Amino acid sequence: MEVLSLPAQAQMQMDHSSMVSAKPGNACQGAGLECANAATPFFTQDGKLLLAWTASGVVAVAQSSDLGKTFSPAVKIAEHGKSLDAGADARPQIVADKQGNIFLAYAFFKDTSWNAQINTARSTDGAKTFTKPEPLVSDRSSQRFPSVLIKPDGDIFISWIDKRLVSAAKQGGQNRLGGSIAYSFSQDGGKSFQAERFANESSCECCRIGGSLDPKDNPVLAYRAIFPGGVRDQASQVILASGAGPIRKVADDNWKTDACPHHGPSIAVSNAGTYHVAWYTQGSKRSGVFYANSSNQGASYTKPSRVGSESANVSRPYLLALGQQVWLVWKEFDGVQSSVYLKESSDDGKTWATPKILSSTAGYSDHPLLLAQGNNVFLSWLTRHDGYQLINIGQKQ
Amino acid sequence: MKRYWLFFILALSVTGFAFADPISLKPYQTGDWKSIIKAANGGPLVINFWGVTCPSCVKEMPQWGLFIKNNPSAKVVFIQVDDVSIESIKKMLSKANLDKANNYYVAAPFDERLRYEIDPKWHGETPTTIVIDKNGKASRKTGLVDFQQLQKALIVKP
Repeated sequence: MEVLSLPAQAQMQMDHSSMVSAKPGNACQGAGLECANAATPFFTQDGKLLLAWTASGVVAVAQSSDLGKTFSPAVKIAEHGKSLDAGADARPQIVADKQGNIFLAYAFFKDTSWNAQINTARSTDGAKTFTKPEPLVSDRSSQRFPSVLIKPDGDIFISWIDKRLVSAAKQGGQNRLGGSIAYSFSQDGGKSFQAERFANESSCECCRIGGSLDPKDNPVLAYRAIFPGGVRDQASQVILASGAGPIRKVADDNWKTDACPHHGPSIAVSNAGTYHVAWYTQGSKRSGVFYANSSNQGASYTKPSRVGSESANVSRPYLLALGQQVWLVWKEFDGVQSSVYLKESSDDGKTWATPKILSSTAGYSDHPLLLAQGNNVFLSWLTRHDGYQLINIGQKQ
Repeated sequence: MKRYWLFFILALSVTGFAFADPISLKPYQTGDWKSIIKAANGGPLVINFWGVTCPSCVKEMPQWGLFIKNNPSAKVVFIQVDDVSIESIKKMLSKANLDKANNYYVAAPFDERLRYEIDPKWHGETPTTIVIDKNGKASRKTGLVDFQQLQKALIVKP
């Protein structure tokens, strides 16, 4: 474990004049936030912002006591060079319990056949030092796209895309694509995990998994499943302590494809237990980014409604629910600028206000993410030209 | 002066060795799309976007190798879009018998900015194949290619 030797602190301040200017198209070489391709935020109980990012093959963490304006020197967790999974839908995961114990997960490619491995690391001293990264499971096939949730009692839930079934089928001579949704719980802060289980044996192999806790603190997942006939449509599924609930189709988009969309869904479960889901599809029945909700644990969903305008390049939807309020952000690109749009609902997704632009940038940008600290809702958006942005976008009424 | 020439010849042969690299892999950047289209000189052109981490692409690349072998006059461009090492790209091209194909790799992140000039509505799924006919009309297909259909599309009618 070492502190990055680059002038991280200076560059990470939101003072734009001190930002390193990376010209568009030029690959940024450093391991600092200014060269990161993805950054994941988490608010600790005492109000500090933890930020985990991947940049130039390095996984790093820093924290901020002033809502992202300045950061502590970055701590390097791991270095994998070009083997780090820095794909469009990959991002490091970071959570902390009420005592401030931190759990982190990320994936890298462990062999020349592009089999991935999920590594986990922990910190018990407030992100000053982390344990040496260790594999989450022992399996020779591929595990990728970790998605981590922490329950109020400190239990950690992790789900991921696991290829051991696909790999076994291939060895048995079957021609099978895709992966499976696997998951596990930890009751000791991520030190050890229960034996992994499968939620769905057939899923897309290259899309992020969306996760949110329901009112009983059970994880609810949204992911791109593979339905019979090679249809890669969205599914939602609740994970109980006793096992995974039924696989529910969110919408009949009928996207029959073998391609890797690198574009997974987002889910937020409200206090009333409503599942809010947003996703991207190129199905024969609809194409673009869509939103739907379910008030019966996914048994049925409302008719999908389009997010953003049909003519625009809309991508990366992300949801957050607090009480009866729902926030939905997404990205649009107009040929020059990428902008984050926001749409809000104050009646659990029944009606929505007119969308508005929260922020724009002309260079590379990460997915827009949402998180809450107490009653305040924040947009977390990493941009190459305009730095890391943490913007207060609303309050719980 | 003699030594100078010797150095010059040596330098030439070194660059010669560099060009003799069996796999030519060019970086693809914003603005390159137009020149790639232009270089096809109006003939039907196929551009395949692939990634080494994409299982469908891994499956399809050897079929592309066969297609090129059977259709040597077909104008096909390959663009690798994953953020991976050059060696791993070359390895996969070599395995698929695509060493001598018209190969590019994306140097910067393959994001919406890079894709916009290619197709503003495209979100970067891999594999994706774009066929541009002799009238300059582009059609985009996501997922595995039907090579028989592709062959028909590439026959230039007099």
